[in-house]
Amino acid sequence: MATEQELSEFLKSVEKRAFKRSVYHVRNDESALDIVQDSMMKLAEHYGHKPAAELPMLFQRILSNCTLDWFRRQKTRNVLFSNFSDFSLAGEDEEFDVLETLNVENHSEQTESAESTTQRAQTLRAIEAEIQELPARQREAFLMRYWEELDVAETAAAMGCSEGSVKTHCSRAVQALGAALRAKGITL
Amino acid sequence: MTNSYQYQRHLAEDRFGLQVAARLSDATDDLPYDISERLRAARHQALGKRKVALVRTVSNLAASGGNGTMTLGHPGWWNRVAAAVPLLALVLGLIAINVIQNENRANELAEIDAALLTDDLPPAAYTDPAFTQFLKSSSGQNQ
Repeated sequence: MATEQELSEFLKSVEKRAFKRSVYHVRNDESALDIVQDSMMKLAEHYGHKPAAELPMLFQRILSNCTLDWFRRQKTRNVLFSNFSDFSLAGEDEEFDVLETLNVENHSEQTESAESTTQRAQTLRAIEAEIQELPARQREAFLMRYWEELDVAETAAAMGCSEGSVKTHCSRAVQALGAALRAKGITL
Repeated sequence: MTNSYQYQRHLAEDRFGLQVAARLSDATDDLPYDISERLRAARHQALGKRKVALVRTVSNLAASGGNGTMTLGHPGWWNRVAAAVPLLALVLGLIAINVIQNENRANELAEIDAALLTDDLPPAAYTDPAFTQFLKSSSGQNQ
């Protein structure tokens, strides 16, 4: 059973990422705060007795459900999630060469050291904009997998889908982001 | 060859994903003060909720704890037995008192009967009016 201290530390460690993730989904700070607060309350109230190791996955699942509830309440779910299983992307026909990105990454340290704060902020804004443009499931899988650093099985459990779907979502999200950022001339 | 390419591709995708995520983490470091404060307040509120939930659970356990230890799966049965014990003791006590008093009374009567029967004076003498008169007069003389 997680102690109060463990639960507090866990919430502290995830609250900001959870807020940003919600913002990427709902594009509204106030709503994102409400969603995160709801998620925290539900976790503490219903799962506060669970072991600390189970908290990350539970929280991600609760956060996803709360976000979905928000969309339901807004009655815009059908509009926003109509392409839930439609993975076709505008630029999908363009072949995204991941190895090209890999090559760029080899010089990333030099690039970063030369990058000014302003450029970093611009890059961040561009990345955020592109993430917001991703289909909801791809965005969710990508953020859980790489930002929350859940493994494929945990992401699948949190999203309520198969591991294969998670891999597909993540792969397509990476391809879409890579293509979009390359089109903007942004390298990481 | 294909497997190798696939592996490299997955590796590259993972690395790219992690790099994007690292950039996103920069965004969380620069959250506005009011947002950070509201998140902190939300966290404290959530922890408060946990306390309430825990207190509720503990009080439920405490309420059923007495039964739980005594009954081993038969809640209420031992309680009913325990409640009936004083009543049963009271009834048994009253019965015992009644029996003892009856016995004492019987013993007293038996002693009187024995005294009458073993006395020199025959019992029929007590029913004789002359004997009663004799007793009254003799008691008057003694005074």
